[in-house]
Parts: sequence; structure tokens; C-alpha cells
Amino acid sequence: MEDRIALKKHLSTKHLLGIKNITTDDINLIFTTADNFKEVLNRPIKKVPSLRDITVANLFFENSTRTRISFELAEKRLSADVVNFSASTSALKKGETLVDTVNNILAMKVDMVVMRHPNPGACVYLSKHIDVNIINAGDGAHEHPTQALLDAYSIREKLGDVKGKKVVIVGDILHSRVALSNIFCLQKLGAEVMVCGPTTLMPRHIGSLGVNVGHNLKEALEWCDVANMLRIQLERQEIKYFPSLREYTMMFGLNKEILDSLSKKITIMHPGPINRGVEITSDVADSDQSIILNQVENGVAIRMAILYLLAGKIEKSA
Amino acid sequence: MNLLIKQARITDPNSPHNGKKLDILIENGKITSIRKSITRKVKTITDANLHVSPGWFDMHVNFRDPGYEHKEDLNSGMRAASFGGFTGVACMPGTNPPLHTKSEIEYILHKSKGSIVDVHPIGALTYKLEGKDMTEMYDMHLSGAVAFSDEKNPIQSAGLMLRSLLYVNGFNGLIISHSEDKEITLDGMMNEGDAQVSLGLNPMPAIAEELMVARDISLVDYAKSRIHISSVSSARTVELIRAAKRKGINITAEVAAHYLGIDDLALNGFESNYKVNPPFRSKKDIQALRKGLADGSIDAICSDHSPEDEEMKNREFDHAAFGIIGLETAYAAANTYSGLSKKELVAKMAIRPREILNIPVPIINRGQQANLTLFNPTQKWTYSKSDIKSKSVNTPFIGTQFTGKALGSYNNNQFHEVV
Repeated sequence: MEDRIALKKHLSTKHLLGIKNITTDDINLIFTTADNFKEVLNRPIKKVPSLRDITVANLFFENSTRTRISFELAEKRLSADVVNFSASTSALKKGETLVDTVNNILAMKVDMVVMRHPNPGACVYLSKHIDVNIINAGDGAHEHPTQALLDAYSIREKLGDVKGKKVVIVGDILHSRVALSNIFCLQKLGAEVMVCGPTTLMPRHIGSLGVNVGHNLKEALEWCDVANMLRIQLERQEIKYFPSLREYTMMFGLNKEILDSLSKKITIMHPGPINRGVEITSDVADSDQSIILNQVENGVAIRMAILYLLAGKIEKSA
Repeated sequence: MNLLIKQARITDPNSPHNGKKLDILIENGKITSIRKSITRKVKTITDANLHVSPGWFDMHVNFRDPGYEHKEDLNSGMRAASFGGFTGVACMPGTNPPLHTKSEIEYILHKSKGSIVDVHPIGALTYKLEGKDMTEMYDMHLSGAVAFSDEKNPIQSAGLMLRSLLYVNGFNGLIISHSEDKEITLDGMMNEGDAQVSLGLNPMPAIAEELMVARDISLVDYAKSRIHISSVSSARTVELIRAAKRKGINITAEVAAHYLGIDDLALNGFESNYKVNPPFRSKKDIQALRKGLADGSIDAICSDHSPEDEEMKNREFDHAAFGIIGLETAYAAANTYSGLSKKELVAKMAIRPREILNIPVPIINRGQQANLTLFNPTQKWTYSKSDIKSKSVNTPFIGTQFTGKALGSYNNNQFHEVV
């Protein structure tokens, strides 16, 4: 295993801060590396020693369950030492700055940081102030690169290739880091992207990214090969962008009736956690067209690949 | 303080010597002679391309005194102004306590009295800048407040703005409005546009500014009062002001120099020294601002000098404070980016600001009090951190090469040479 993954190729970057600034070669290298790790994950003994003596800190300044567990599992499968820090009521409230908080943890000899943070650009900011490798696990409405990679990887797995495929992202595009990273990633891999949702949840200048913009779910679904249904995050919205969940579901909820009325079989995705009966009904989420659980499974392999490739850039003295 | 200025090109539309290259002798604060050639054994200023104009005036600065003296106190603020070539400034009321009674107005005037920079306080429009209760504006006016504004806490209530505009009519007071509908900008961080979409930062759409300018134009027309729009940033705002002026509405406007050279693409690295309010907008907006200056829609160029300490700036973009310092780069940025002639720049940076605030405009002529700025409009220089005289260093211009530099200023019988 070790030998097969010890490719001569390296990522073009020291950090994974977003998809916007990595290359298509980087993405393909992550995918081929993930292919190998996926095979490892299906073995009876799922652990490899690749990250032995590497310490990873998972710093979660915002609530997360699945992303944190996925990272933690990926790290442990690679034999890394792992420390977890989570502070939804951020240390900032005690007056400590982000850089101070992180430096305090790094002083305990940490090699890599995985960070989730509510503010856009927080990982970019941190990368200018600390020296270790940083993986962005979601920064505000900016980027969520590992999610986009596992999404594209899951499309590739299901449909053979991402290139030439039509993908629609449905829901709250305005507050979504998943949408933004997905757009960058899918476009780099040659897919065509549409965003679909209420105009109030659509950035006014989203068209400048080269995506199609739609407001009719049925039309968007007829157009696409893959539909990625985003979670409607009522908890983030202090301002009302639509009157009620009920009405949102009437306009943008995906149910079996709509799915079966389409002229072809499309693939259904969701980054989770699902609001069953809101953006997607149970019978759709659990149907054979859904790859929602494959996404979760692939998430571990993708994160292992990223950790492994970035760790290759760590120089350990003796 | 006596001074001999040799072979300086005089740029002063109110002076009989305008456009001529002459020697100027200043003795004990007064211009005593202007001739082709003067010889006198006093401090003498020469330069390869020496220009002299009435002392520059910045009608929009923030000195953080009282309350936040660690960011800027009156002395450091005046020093920064002086290095930038300014002999006069109008300072905003966003201190702690705010400049919202005559006590604070008199504190500013008393503490700055007699210095090389004349500091004119702008009083708060509402008590504690809360946007609720009007301050005693007449009392502050009597004490020396030159205008009234809640600065970056714009008046959201149209009714309050209307009553304020009507009220100041009684003593020809001036209201300065930072135009922003907070219900639209919410917790916006940067201009709404292509750059913003890929950064995921909350937008501050230009329409938030334009709506308020449109509102205030209607209100000022109705009240038969006058208003000054601070820090214009969008193309549509320029159009609105241009149209209002054509209709004869009593409105004036300013732009801060940095808006003439920086667009929103600069924010790509989440660098908080590009976080300003109003936000840096598009290249198209910059073109409109330059055009608005050239055709007189925009009257004045200011610095919107906003000192912030390291703790407020060096943090996550969402949490960083808005604003940058600008006194020491305002002329250079305006000269480099505006496309205006030196004559036009002197109008925008020395004459119009004083006219708007009803402050006497200095004239370069024999017998006048000397209040003037020396500059070289073609000198190239690079701004470095060690140049900074302000207590704060929050500027995106470090390392920028500018054309045009203030060389010194003379006011209140004092000379300050920029070296």
C-alpha cells in the first residue's frame, strides 16, 4: 500500500484552503489517492501507518458532527495522533484571538490543523500567521473544499466521469460554502453547473461564476444528470428570506412524484444533515437514485487522501 | 517663523499671482513679499518642481481623541495631517464620549489651538450617535462646530433626518450624511459583486448607498436646507448628485482619495486593510467617481482618515474594523489616481472643503496670513511603513509608488517641512 501511494506527484499547495486556488491536477491526484484508500477501507484491517508521528488538531469553532467525525476517522485510519478542540461559544468571547488560540495548541507540537470556522476567510487568515498545514473544514459562506471533493468523487464513482455532466445545486446558495466549492470543483473537472433556488437565497452576481441560474425545480431537474439538494438552514437566518418552510418545500422540495415524472433517471445527492420532508422527502433520500450514504463513505477516503498528500509536505527533523 | 520660498509655481485661483513662478517671503506668519526674485537670509525652500497653493483642507478625518487615544490622539493626528500637507481638518464626532455637546467641541478647539493644523470639530447629529434624539446643535454651532453628522452610524429614520435638516436651517447649519441603509447592508463586509461571490463575504450592495442619497435629496429639497454627502462610492450616487445639482438642490459631496485607485478585486486575500465603509467598488464605479470629480458633481476630496490599532485590524475579516488611515497619502493617491489637473486638485483639496464648511479660504498674496502648502506634483515616491506619523498603521498603501508629494506646510506662524 505504502509503495503504491508513494507517487512522485505532489499537491501544488501546502494548505487546502479552498478549491478556487488548486489545480485540476491536484484534484485528480486526490481522487487517485482516494481510490487506493477506499480499497484500504474495505479491508478487514482498515488502518495504515502513513501518518505515524504526525499530530493533527481538529479545531472546530462552529458546530459540526459529521465533518468532524469523518476527519477524525480519516486521521485515525492513517495512524495520526489526534486532538480535538471545539468551541461553539468561541474562545474569542473570553478575549483570546484566533491566532492566539491556535498558537497555544500548536505550542504542544501539532503538525496539521483541520479548521471549521464561522467567518469567511478564517483559514486564509490563519495561514498567514501560522506555519503548519491547514485544511479548511468550512469557513463561513466561503469554501468547504473537502465536501466538494467528496461530492465530485462520488459523481465520478457513480457516473464514471464528471466531465460533461450536468449538475444542479438546489437551495440556499447565498449562505452555502458547499455550493461555492462545488461550483469551483465541478467546473475544474469539466461539468456544467446550474444553481436553483429562491432569488432571495441567490447571490446577485452568481452568474459571474459561469453557472446557469434557475428558479424552477422541475425544469432544473429535467436539465441535469445530478441534483445536489442543499440543506435549508433556518437556524442561520436571522432575516427571513422566504415566508415559511412549507412554502419553500412547495417550490423547491424534491419528492418522489417529481422524480418519477422526469424523462430520465437522475442521481440525487445531499451534503447532510437532511431535513427529511423539507428539501427532500424520505422516499427520495432512500431511493436507489440517491448516493447520499456513498458521499459519507467517500468522505473518509477523500479526507485520508488530502491528509496523506499534505503530510508529504511536512519535514520532520530526525 | 520666517521663510523664503524660491521659484514656486503659485496655484491659487483667488490670487493675482495664480500660475506664476515667483519667490514668496513670509515673516512672522504673514506673506510680506511676492516677487520674481527675493534674497533674504532666512530659511529657504527650493525644489526642482516646487508648487505652492493655499493650505490643504481635509473635511473628513477621525481623530480618536477623546476615548481611543491609543489609536490616534489630537497631536498625532495633527502630525499626520501636517505630513500630508494639510493645514486644516474637520474631525468627525465618533469619539468616546462622542463630540455631542459643546464641552467636547470646546475640548477639541482648546487642545488644538495655535497649532500648525486648524482642527474644526463636526458635532454629532444625535445624542450618543444613537440616531434617536437630536443634540443641541445650535449650542455646538456657537462653540465652533462646523457641521453635524452621525458619521458611520447613518440616520435611518427619514423623519429624524427631515426634522434635523429643517432645524439647522435656523442657523445655516450643515448636515453631513454617510449614506447607508443598514436594513440592506445588514452585516455586509464588502461590495456586492463578482469578487464578493467567490469570497462568500456578506455583501454591501451599492443600492444601500444610492437609496439613502435619493432619500436625502428629496428631504433636503423639501426642507429647503442643505446637505453634504460624505464618501461617495458608487456610480449611481454620482448620477443622483449630478441630477440634483442641476435641479438647483443645495447638495455637495466628497470622495475619499483611496476610492479613486482601489477596486473590490483587492479583497481577494481577505486582507483587512481593504475593509472600508463604504466598500471599495468596481472599476466602473471608479471611472464614475473620476468623472464626477471632473464635472463638479463631487466637490471635494478627503482622506476619511480612520486609525485603527493592530488588535482591531489584524483578525478574521468579519471581526476586523472598517477603515484605513489616509491623511499622509490622500494627496498622493488623489494626484496619482484622479486624473485631475493640479488646479482642479487644489480646488478639491483646499478651496471647496472650506467653502462648504463656511471657513475662510486663505489667499496667497502680499499682506495675507500665510496658510499654504508646498508640493511637487511630479515627484515619484514609495510609501513605507517607517514614513507613517499616525499612531496607527492600517493602510493598504505600504509599498505603493505614488506620483506627487507634499513638501511642507505653513500656518499659524509655523512651518513644517516634510523630509
